[in-house]
Amino acid sequence: MKRSYVPVALLLAVLMLNIIFTQYMVHQYFYQNYMNTIIAAVLNVILFPIAFLIYKKGVNVND
Amino acid sequence: MSDKNNKIPFNENNYTHNINRNNERKLDRRGFMKTLVGAAGVFAVSSLPWGAIAAKELSGLSDKKYPKKKIADLKSVAVGDAVDFHFPGEHDSAILIRLSEKKFVAYQNACTHLRCPVFWEKDKGEMICPCHHGKFDVETGAPTAGPPRRPLPEIHVKVENGAVYAVGVKRYEA
Ligand code: FES
Repeated sequence: MKRSYVPVALLLAVLMLNIIFTQYMVHQYFYQNYMNTIIAAVLNVILFPIAFLIYKKGVNVND
Repeated sequence: MSDKNNKIPFNENNYTHNINRNNERKLDRRGFMKTLVGAAGVFAVSSLPWGAIAAKELSGLSDKKYPKKKIADLKSVAVGDAVDFHFPGEHDSAILIRLSEKKFVAYQNACTHLRCPVFWEKDKGEMICPCHHGKFDVETGAPTAGPPRRPLPEIHVKVENGAVYAVGVKRYEA
């Protein structure tokens, strides 16, 4: 089987989202919109298991 | 180049001759993905304190109580009028607005942009900062237009036997 770079692309997308959510979170914190801060933090946290699943699926596709 | 350094010196009693360390440090696809997952983990962990502090702010734990201070007599403020006062310190100017018979709102009136005093525009129904035309929502203190991005700190008020009192600040900003 040929190795797939789709998981790599997906993980890079996750990293991009991480950066976006983090910046949004910090800004909303300083604008004192605390609800938005919490939402962004939660999104950032659930991106981690998503990334982990992508990795798990991805490494099985033969290295 | 001569080959003299590239010879296996002994045949059998060299236990390391078959270890191939070429490309040992190469970042392959798997290693790269591991790094990315690790980065996601770092982002997740570093988000936690922000969420926690935001939750604490939302829960009102940082509201501050101050000795209550009389702002004005009920009779002296007509509906739709505003009174300037100072709370909690002598130099923290604030504004009280009577929105209806029963509803009063009060804010520290230093604009959250560059601290100009904010005024109540009765006929427009909004609070305006003259310096750079920042506007605030009178019900919540949230910025609605212009450069300010943070809400005005709200002052808790209480109506008691014919007078309005300031009792605390949502978050104190000196
Ligand atoms: S100081 Fe109020 S808008 Fe700039």
